[in-house]
Amino acid sequence: MPIPLPPDKRLLVIIPAYNEEASLARVIASVKAAMPQADIVVIDDGSRDDTARVGGIAGAHVVTLPYNLGIGAAMQTGFLFARDGGYDYAVQVDGDGQHDPSEIGEILGPVMAGEADVVAGARYIEDRGYTTPWPRRIGIVILATLISIVVRRRVTDPTSGFRASNRQAIQYCAGHYPPDYPEPESVVQFARAGLRMKEVPVTMNPRYGGQSSITPFRSFYYMIKVILAIMVDLLRQPPRFGR
Amino acid sequence: MDRITLSIVIGALVLLVIVVELVRQRRLEEQYSLLWLGAATALVALAISRDLWDKLAIVVGIAYPPTALFIVLFVAMIMILLHFSTVISKLTRQNRQAAQEIGLLQWKLNELEKQLAQRASGDQPQP
Repeated sequence: MPIPLPPDKRLLVIIPAYNEEASLARVIASVKAAMPQADIVVIDDGSRDDTARVGGIAGAHVVTLPYNLGIGAAMQTGFLFARDGGYDYAVQVDGDGQHDPSEIGEILGPVMAGEADVVAGARYIEDRGYTTPWPRRIGIVILATLISIVVRRRVTDPTSGFRASNRQAIQYCAGHYPPDYPEPESVVQFARAGLRMKEVPVTMNPRYGGQSSITPFRSFYYMIKVILAIMVDLLRQPPRFGR
Repeated sequence: MDRITLSIVIGALVLLVIVVELVRQRRLEEQYSLLWLGAATALVALAISRDLWDKLAIVVGIAYPPTALFIVLFVAMIMILLHFSTVISKLTRQNRQAAQEIGLLQWKLNELEKQLAQRASGDQPQP
């Protein structure tokens, strides 16, 4: 169900993509169907395949990074694009088809209503049949527990990249965004920067094609790296706005 | 001057000459040469003053004074390596920002070229 965007508000859908030529066209088409008023930007993170061309043909703006910088740095590029383009809202949709663009309304709604600055679609609030391999599930539970304690609020799915942000959050993310494995760390950073965050239940699909960037060994490395990053963040002064 | 002192002084002087020469040829930035110069100078100073060397060894609890020289070298190495890690981190951050800017500027350039091509072909310019 396409949701109406107020005529004076502009929405940017940011699609970070690394070697996603197989799924990108489909993702862009469903974003257009769900949100015809939105501008779409694909951040091609130094792909070696036809990601940039596929994105352009499908009718998105394409920002091509000269070499692979990692998902966080790619997303930050999207937030810079949103900040400099004067967008009021930004939505992140992964290029692999995991996120269902017809649910953009679910995560954008609370942001437009002013209930939160950042809203994330969470997989595990309600059982909607999404299954995660158990090692990764354990990692997510450990992270979620740790992060919930740190931010003093219940967080169920800190790894979700399906997010909507308002202007304030866009400006913050354009200046500070963790360069790799950014999602869990950013949950803590948002809390410390005074941004209000909320989770809403969504359904996630298995990816359409291509390769997940997370292998079993990387899951473990991911968890250790993220926990370390969160701990170090806590030792810092709360981040300020601006770059 | 006994043999070991002489050897260390010669070694440290060679290091000093190499570092200065690299800076002179602009193959090494002054800012990164400071730690090397400091380490080499400290080594010379310790080597030519046996007194200082023995005292330092006693202060840090080393039974065999010449070992103190190795400790000094080791600490200097660690500091230099740590310094390099911070330099690499800074370069990584700057490199990332530059790459992001390149991507965004390239997009802007493409947009402008598209608009320009439209005007040149006599179409109405896009609003």
